[in-house]
Amino acid sequence: MFCLSELEDTVRVPPHLLNGPLEDAIKEVLQKLFLDKVLSIGLCVSIYDIRSVKGGFVLPGDGAPTYKVRFRIVVFRPFVGEVIAAKFKESDSNGLRLTLGFFEDVYVPAPLIPTPNRCEPDPYNRNQMRWVWQYEGEEFIIDDSCQIKFRVENISYPPVPIERAEDAKPFAPMVVTGTIDDDGLGPVSWWEACAPISDQD
Amino acid sequence: MSGEEEENAAELKIGDEFLKAKCLMNCEVSLILEHKYEQLQQVSEDPMNQVSQVFEKSLQYVKRFSRYKNPDAVRQVREILSRHQLTEFELCVLGNLCPETAEEAVAMVPSLKTKGRTHSDEAIEKMLNDLSLVKRFE
Repeated sequence: MFCLSELEDTVRVPPHLLNGPLEDAIKEVLQKLFLDKVLSIGLCVSIYDIRSVKGGFVLPGDGAPTYKVRFRIVVFRPFVGEVIAAKFKESDSNGLRLTLGFFEDVYVPAPLIPTPNRCEPDPYNRNQMRWVWQYEGEEFIIDDSCQIKFRVENISYPPVPIERAEDAKPFAPMVVTGTIDDDGLGPVSWWEACAPISDQD
Repeated sequence: MSGEEEENAAELKIGDEFLKAKCLMNCEVSLILEHKYEQLQQVSEDPMNQVSQVFEKSLQYVKRFSRYKNPDAVRQVREILSRHQLTEFELCVLGNLCPETAEEAVAMVPSLKTKGRTHSDEAIEKMLNDLSLVKRFE
């Protein structure tokens, strides 16, 4: 979920930003530093506000002032056990990949898909496999037709690789493993028959 | 967060610094990011240049997954949920997922039923009822 987190950091403001208000300059530098970066507290999505600014000293040999800034950021931070709504992105023989748009590294490995199930080549998409849940004689396909709720099982922060192969997937600093094998989880269409939901899309 | 105690939101073991950090519901983040977007639009002619990918996509996500759109409704939701001895985390999960029944609520937030907590099914149903009233006056 999203959290508001207060941080303190030393911020160097390049002189070309000093024409306008100081707070705007500092916000711009903070945005470059933190937006879309994974910190220990989560993925930073926006700078919320600046609480205090101190300093403004120019260090020897530098042309720019440095400030000590207290500020708050909005971070996306999943918790183990939390239920999150996401969309289907792709699937292969290892399992599913879900996306939140701004965060695309949610994986549901095969063992966490409800059984019995089967995996078959996707008739609409030659390169992909699709997963089908078999329940009481009915077949439920897992695809992008509606939102999918998953529960966070694990979050990992792989270390930055030193060398990468040419065609390796882009590095993911935060990887969330989820499960859809429980009541209320998986595509919402599986549960719509049970509880009437008024304005689902 | 210490590595010794395993994190598990189902039992509400989520690290001290998160119990202090203010958790935000998707609808609250939606208001925050929309406001920032408007500010950017006032300042420059082409805000999309400055608005990074992650900002835009986060805005898309929270807009799509918020049940409550107007600021008064959002405030009311937080107010209603705050009256029920919930932690920030539980409050936000309920505000995000809007369960219809007490059974659904407990499935999504198992910590409601841990030992020593006073959340009867009736109390949970009452809370969900109050929430559903907010939606009607959107």
